Amino acid sequence: MELPEANETLSRRRFFVNGIKVVAGLLGLGLGIPLVGFFIAPALKKEQHDWIAIADLNLMNAGEPAKVTYQYTRRDGWKTAETRKTAFVVKHADGKITALTNKCTHLGCGVEWNASSKQFTCPCHGGVFDIQGNVTAGPPPKPLTRLMVKVEVNKIFIKDAQQ
Amino acid sequence: MSRIYKFLDDRLNLSPLLKEIADHQVPDHANPLKTPTALIYCFGGICLFILLLQILTGVFLMLYYVPSPDNAYAGVNYIQNELAFGGLVRGIHRVGASAAVVMVFLHMMRVVLTGSYKNPRELNWIVGIVLLLTVMGFCFTGYLLPWDQKAYWATTVGVNMVESIPLVGNFLAAALRGGSEVGMLTLVRFYVVHVMFLPALLVIFLAAHFFMVRRQGISRPL
Repeated sequence: MELPEANETLSRRRFFVNGIKVVAGLLGLGLGIPLVGFFIAPALKKEQHDWIAIADLNLMNAGEPAKVTYQYTRRDGWKTAETRKTAFVVKHADGKITALTNKCTHLGCGVEWNASSKQFTCPCHGGVFDIQGNVTAGPPPKPLTRLMVKVEVNKIFIKDAQQ
Repeated sequence: MSRIYKFLDDRLNLSPLLKEIADHQVPDHANPLKTPTALIYCFGGICLFILLLQILTGVFLMLYYVPSPDNAYAGVNYIQNELAFGGLVRGIHRVGASAAVVMVFLHMMRVVLTGSYKNPRELNWIVGIVLLLTVMGFCFTGYLLPWDQKAYWATTVGVNMVESIPLVGNFLAAALRGGSEVGMLTLVRFYVVHVMFLPALLVIFLAAHFFMVRRQGISRPL
């Protein structure tokens, strides 16, 4: 648009141009905010997790991770979906209990416990983790994720949420 | 913003196009600032505005709508009652549908009142009638999508009306339903007609409508 010169018709024109811009801006905001909110709403919803009884403390051997699968129902839009996941529950020599996800922190493949080398190994790109979940070799950038864990009357409970 | 515009304008020479689309003289008899009754000349523009709103909200509603008997009602319920801004977005689409019919009708009445359908604008009148039928088609197909009692029976009745057409009625009704009863196939085809076929028709005929208005100009007063 060419610049208005200092005469009456053009300043009136400029007034209307500005008015149109303001109205368009208000309309844009009034529509944009709800529509963006509508789009991202499911991402902002916090998932609620419950404690899941997963293993018996008495049956655990120290230094030997137990591979456990657990499942829970979660809301999937207007439906409910079963989610099945795998974790390793570890009883350490000092009696402490940790629960690690089996999800490699590199690209998400499932790690396995190698009893002879006493390490978690990932089949995809050779990631290796020790029994604490710390990376000892390969490309993973972070230790294995620790899940929330508690012990009640010899029962081990985990929660599908990061510790 | 103006620098981006200048960059594009230098390379693509947009200004003449823009002038043609949005920066031309409105004749006095169609300018509400000069002739207050000229507000009736705004009805077409209001129709366009509502249709743009409908397209925008419709595209967003598609994010959460699944056209199957198991999911349709639950999905609409989810949009309406659980999603942030869901009631608003769906509300705009629902009320906008009625507003579109009202405004298209008023726009048509303006054209009748000012005799604008006459030579040389008969073709644009015909295109306008196609657009009216398109909007009615949107309403008819969209009405079924919530898949509640009202939707189901409205469609049952609507298709039965088609059935009363002599000779081809039964065939047309079956083609609309995708069978002998309103069911899953009806829902899917109404959905696809609502979000693909009719929008394509709408865009094509709107383009023709606007091309002819710009080409022929706004009709002179009676």
